[in-house]
Amino acid sequence: MLADSGGGGAIVPFSGDPNHAAPPPPPVRPIRHGVAPPISRVFVSWSSGNLLQVACLSGGRGAEEVAGSVVEVNLAVANGSAEVEQEIDEAEMRRIEYGSVPAFALLQSRRNALADAAAMQHMHSVSERAEWWQYVLQYSKTIGKLLGSPDSLPGLMIEDPRAILKVRERPTSLKAAWELLEIFYVDKNLHSWLPERLVDWLADYDSLLTKTDGTVYCKLSDFQKKLINLQVVENDPDYWNGLSAALSVGWLDVVVNMLRFHGSYQLDQMDNRETENGLVEAVAVLVSTMPRMRPDLPTGKLGQCCTSRPDFIKAWEKWRGQVSKLECSAFWIQCGHQKTRDGLKNLLHIMMGNIKDLTAATSHWLELFASHFLYIRPFTVGFEGMHHLAQKCIQLKPSFGNSGLTGLLNGILSENPEVVLAECTKKFGPWMVTHSMELLAADNEYADIMLHEERPNFGGLSIEELHRLVYAQVLSSHSLTWQIAPTYLSSCLNQGLGLLEILLLKQPIQDNRQVLKTLELCRLYELENVSTNIMKIAGIYHWKHGRKGTGVYWFQQAHDKVRLDRIAQQLFERIGKSVADDNFKQWEGLVELLGSDIGSAGGLEFLHRYRDFKRSLQQALEGRTGEAARQTVEFLIQLMRNPSTPQRFWLPLLHDSVRLLNCKPCPLLNVAETTLLLNKLQELSMAKLRPDFCTNHLPSHALSSVRLALASNLARAILEEP
Amino acid sequence: MADSPSFRRHPLPFSVDLLRWLPSSTSSARLIAAAVHDPTIPASSHLHLLSLPDPASPLASLPLPSRPTALRCSPSVLAAATSSGSLHLLPSSFDTDSVISIPSGAGFHVGPVRGLDCGGEEWVTAGEDGRVHLVSDGGDGRVVARRVCDGKGMLGYEAARWASSAEFATGGAGCGVQWWDRRKGDAVVAQCKGIWGRGVAAGIVHSIDIHPSRKHICVVGGSSGAIFAWDLRWPQQPIPLSGVGLHETAEPICESEVWEVLFDNYTQSSDIISAASTRILPVMMCSEDGILAIVEQDERPLELLAEPCAINSFDIDPQNPSDVVCALEWESIGVLTRGRDAMAAE
Repeated sequence: MLADSGGGGAIVPFSGDPNHAAPPPPPVRPIRHGVAPPISRVFVSWSSGNLLQVACLSGGRGAEEVAGSVVEVNLAVANGSAEVEQEIDEAEMRRIEYGSVPAFALLQSRRNALADAAAMQHMHSVSERAEWWQYVLQYSKTIGKLLGSPDSLPGLMIEDPRAILKVRERPTSLKAAWELLEIFYVDKNLHSWLPERLVDWLADYDSLLTKTDGTVYCKLSDFQKKLINLQVVENDPDYWNGLSAALSVGWLDVVVNMLRFHGSYQLDQMDNRETENGLVEAVAVLVSTMPRMRPDLPTGKLGQCCTSRPDFIKAWEKWRGQVSKLECSAFWIQCGHQKTRDGLKNLLHIMMGNIKDLTAATSHWLELFASHFLYIRPFTVGFEGMHHLAQKCIQLKPSFGNSGLTGLLNGILSENPEVVLAECTKKFGPWMVTHSMELLAADNEYADIMLHEERPNFGGLSIEELHRLVYAQVLSSHSLTWQIAPTYLSSCLNQGLGLLEILLLKQPIQDNRQVLKTLELCRLYELENVSTNIMKIAGIYHWKHGRKGTGVYWFQQAHDKVRLDRIAQQLFERIGKSVADDNFKQWEGLVELLGSDIGSAGGLEFLHRYRDFKRSLQQALEGRTGEAARQTVEFLIQLMRNPSTPQRFWLPLLHDSVRLLNCKPCPLLNVAETTLLLNKLQELSMAKLRPDFCTNHLPSHALSSVRLALASNLARAILEEP
Repeated sequence: MADSPSFRRHPLPFSVDLLRWLPSSTSSARLIAAAVHDPTIPASSHLHLLSLPDPASPLASLPLPSRPTALRCSPSVLAAATSSGSLHLLPSSFDTDSVISIPSGAGFHVGPVRGLDCGGEEWVTAGEDGRVHLVSDGGDGRVVARRVCDGKGMLGYEAARWASSAEFATGGAGCGVQWWDRRKGDAVVAQCKGIWGRGVAAGIVHSIDIHPSRKHICVVGGSSGAIFAWDLRWPQQPIPLSGVGLHETAEPICESEVWEVLFDNYTQSSDIISAASTRILPVMMCSEDGILAIVEQDERPLELLAEPCAINSFDIDPQNPSDVVCALEWESIGVLTRGRDAMAAE
């Protein structure tokens, strides 16, 4: 599986399962690691997302060669099984993912609020249930809006009168599936005119039903292409086929528009084709006045709306009467054009609900299904009746190219939420499953139980949580979407929090801004120990890479006493070594950075005094001003007097000051001070004999040179003393 | 004040880190420079030239060696610094053929450069590696970078801003705000720890702004929702501007990182009479928790936006200060247009 780009590198053969006769060849990815062969070891581990980290260590002994390297391999392969991704590119899918977060979060918080209220009252009131349904509907509408293409095509200024199908935004199966679920599971307002709703849905998404078999949409768009070259439309059989197809699925506006293309409307022919034209117009009027069992119609759509059942029956019977009257009319004999006569009669038969003509006019079983609602059984209600009808239609028009939408509809009609969920998973991916579960369970107790029941075979997870976790994993694997994964993880009660902690701890810490973003999430979800850990990791990283200031900052934010003490300890160890100016600056900077936080190391006071002493000593040696020298000596005496000064620093301190003591003509220390220092020196010599004495790195003559300097200073001080 | 501001989000197929308005010669085209990257594609960091009202496709773009970390625009030059430590200067007409770059390395910066500002002749750069450089025109199309300070990792800078041609301010992690004077040997002449919320002793300064007419006052935005003003005349007493450090009852406008602060010329100070001397002028800020707001001394903050995702950067159009553009975490940019009536009253 591992091959060097050079060709002569390490190749680890892949051994297939011996039980399989012909294992498929494994995918091979060349890796540029630049390590000269032979490679002794290879480590492979997952990094964040789809990144695989491969570490190669060389077995070679050459010092100048690269001893090892770590490369990251991006295994991002598009998930080909989900149909969604063919229609919607990755950036667009991410836009949908981002946009659905606020809606999802709002719905969860409303659910929690309702649950709290219910717990207070110890009962489920009816109004609560109604309220919940409203919330889910609102959620569904928000997400539905998101799925529509954002850059909808601008309305054309001049509409082509010969355009059959309206130009509009490209429909996606994702939106089609979402709307289907909304129609059947959520939108209670529409339950009494569910059939009409389905007809509308089909009008929007007919083009998506199948790619292999024909549809009404295909027929019409094919005819549209042909239309430009046609002189006499009524002579073309496709014209009449298109008309009957459009009428059978209830696209009344399209039918009326197409009828007006008929040659008898042309002014120069009006006289001799008067009867023919009258018949065409009569059919057009009948089509446009078809009664429809629905509250309203969108602009541009035809038919007369009936809101109540008795109204509809009355209108329907009247309309049917007109249709059959026209069918039996004597004017047909006067109509000279054979094709027009047959075509119009066919349309009338469709309107009268002739099952043979309907079956012939439609292409897909779903279209036949819709035509049944329109012309044969306008009162079909209930899932059982619909399902039965759907089965009959499938028998008449078996479909092979399954688009996912038909499978989804089958699952819905057979009242099988498991099938619906499985179709969503298979065809539309984890985003769809996670968000559509809310719709499924909105007003369906069986689905509610099915989704929320904790299952021991899933380790106590419910199906809902399982799918949310899967979706969260998908989000986490992308460096742009990982920040929205916590919203979904936090809605998972069993394992969400644990995974959230892992997710946060796995985020890269190289970039300070990125760390701050991760810490913000920790704050939001009150994960204080996680944020402390992240700060410590970031601190170590920066410290190791020489950014000591940033490192110490993070240790301080994490209140990491252990590491701050270690740093303070290192500072102590530097004392007494003869430090160059540059190093002293760094040391000084660190003391400055640590500030008050090294108090627990016991030596903060000492470190600060030592710094002051060292600083003024440098000044004194450079400038040789009496003022600075006097100051230095004062600092020295203070340090030596102070009990917090560790004994091991006595000699280095005195040794540092030797040059100062020697170079001055007049003594800097008075007799008492010199005696104090000599006493300390004596104590030190005694301590040297003890076994626990720790030696420092001073030259062996240090002690004697200090003693000599002090002695000469004492001599001069005695002489000076009055 | 700002009556009925209108806001529009434009989704883009890449992540936008930073945004700046570009000076536009014609009134019809509104141009924006956007520093973008897409982590899924290697070497996808770019500087894009976008135009409003339709920013979906960039008009021109300049590839950058790594993720952009700072972006500033002077009247004639657009400058971008990157996370690897390089600097790229190009004419603000976005002529990508005449780009001048300083590569990262020992001679310049190593690691992210977040402090970047133009002070007329010279650019100042301050990096997380603790180095501060002054970059000036070396003649015949070259630029010269002069090191002012090398913190050797003891300090890490996150922000830099010029006050005058001789003074600038820097800020970073743990060191608060520093005031540099070039006339005094390029040294730090004043320092302020700052005011940090939630009982934190020290925070990170993310952004500094200095008003062109009051060069002694810095306004600073940093971690844990801290926004304060630092008046050099009273260097020991920084003035809190967010709820942090005011009084117990004051609700802070945000508690997360304040990524950017800018003086807002569009909002009039509520007290014009006393505004002459001591008062801090209104300041706009954006934050990690998605807040875009105007804060003012001793006033309730005015929230302009509360987005569900972080606002990483924003810029007020210098030519038309009612318009604000902001970079949102969720791969989009937002354009906020504040009411025109208030404009007329000014």
